[in-house]
Amino acid sequence: MRKYATAFAVPGVLLGFACGAAGQNTKFDPRDLSGIWMSHNARGSNFSMGGTVPSMTGWAQARYDAAQPGLGPRGKPLGNDPMMICDPMGFPRIMFWTNYPIEMIQIPGRILMFFDWFYTYRTIWTDGRPLPADPDPRFYGYSVGKWDGDTFVVQSKGFDDRTWLDADAHPHTEDMLLEERYRRVSPDTIEFTMTLTDPKAYKSPWVGAKMNMTRADQATRMREDVCVPSVEAKYKEQIRNPAGGAAQAK
Amino acid sequence: MKTALLLLGALPFDGGLVWAHHGSRISYDLTKEVTLKGVVKEFVYVNPHIYFTFDVKDEQGHVTEWAAETDPPMMMERRFQWSRHYLKPGDAVTVTVWPSKVGAPRGFLAKLVTADGKVTDHSDQPRE
Repeated sequence: MRKYATAFAVPGVLLGFACGAAGQNTKFDPRDLSGIWMSHNARGSNFSMGGTVPSMTGWAQARYDAAQPGLGPRGKPLGNDPMMICDPMGFPRIMFWTNYPIEMIQIPGRILMFFDWFYTYRTIWTDGRPLPADPDPRFYGYSVGKWDGDTFVVQSKGFDDRTWLDADAHPHTEDMLLEERYRRVSPDTIEFTMTLTDPKAYKSPWVGAKMNMTRADQATRMREDVCVPSVEAKYKEQIRNPAGGAAQAK
Repeated sequence: MKTALLLLGALPFDGGLVWAHHGSRISYDLTKEVTLKGVVKEFVYVNPHIYFTFDVKDEQGHVTEWAAETDPPMMMERRFQWSRHYLKPGDAVTVTVWPSKVGAPRGFLAKLVTADGKVTDHSDQPRE
């Protein structure tokens, strides 16, 4: 891992390492995003990318109205959030589940993001390949990334439209384009923003709020926090349904 | 909220998401606490819902099976040093929960005291 990080540090050496104002031990390579991080929502963003939600199309509004979230301002007991049956969270929603670490690994040609929540990962190709013209939909999309100065810019498409964008159940189509911009602003902080373009769902691009990831402390580790359908089913029967007043409560 | 988290040891968790419990938190009345004495039947130590069932006997001897859920292992390990061995069937426990809004014998854990004196005080959780 360190070897790979070193390989990627070369551009940083050429560009000069960034230093903190305090002059302490704050040297870092702004092009090294590797490590275990905890992402943080923009305050009040309701576990979403934040910003102002654009006007929805009729299709998106109908889908939004049919969804029954268990969290946020529209939250009610029970509901039909896909995660309650362990369906994949999908991207970008997985980024907003902030109590779980995200490990970023830089290797030649790729940056891998491992998400402890749902114990899954995505690949961001950095080998110069273009986005495919018509990729098969995936829950975590198809992503390519490149450096723009010290900003890592990720373009993604090919998202499965069964996922919710956030806990409030904002929908998207398979034609969604997503741009992420990551910038490591200190040894222990990466700032990032997301911009979503999906004309069949939103009448203008959705520009998210600035969010950040901070380096997890030494005690944090990936611990296989997978969502197991059989476990979830038992929880539903024993806890969620009775607590929420479902008819099958015992 | 932030202050409370700092007091808990500057854990890198977002307070709001402490409650983002897979869509179940909203089922509980966070303005009310119920304290029960019981005996553990089952301790389910899994992601993302740790919960345990326990039998509570009333003055007439009638037994009701309650269940209390709490945060996932990721958080309970770090905040309270829980492990899969923290409880076992037969343990005597005093359990304070925020109860189900619909009156079911289910609750979200506010405080747990075990027979050997271990205390898990979750009651400082934000109630936003």
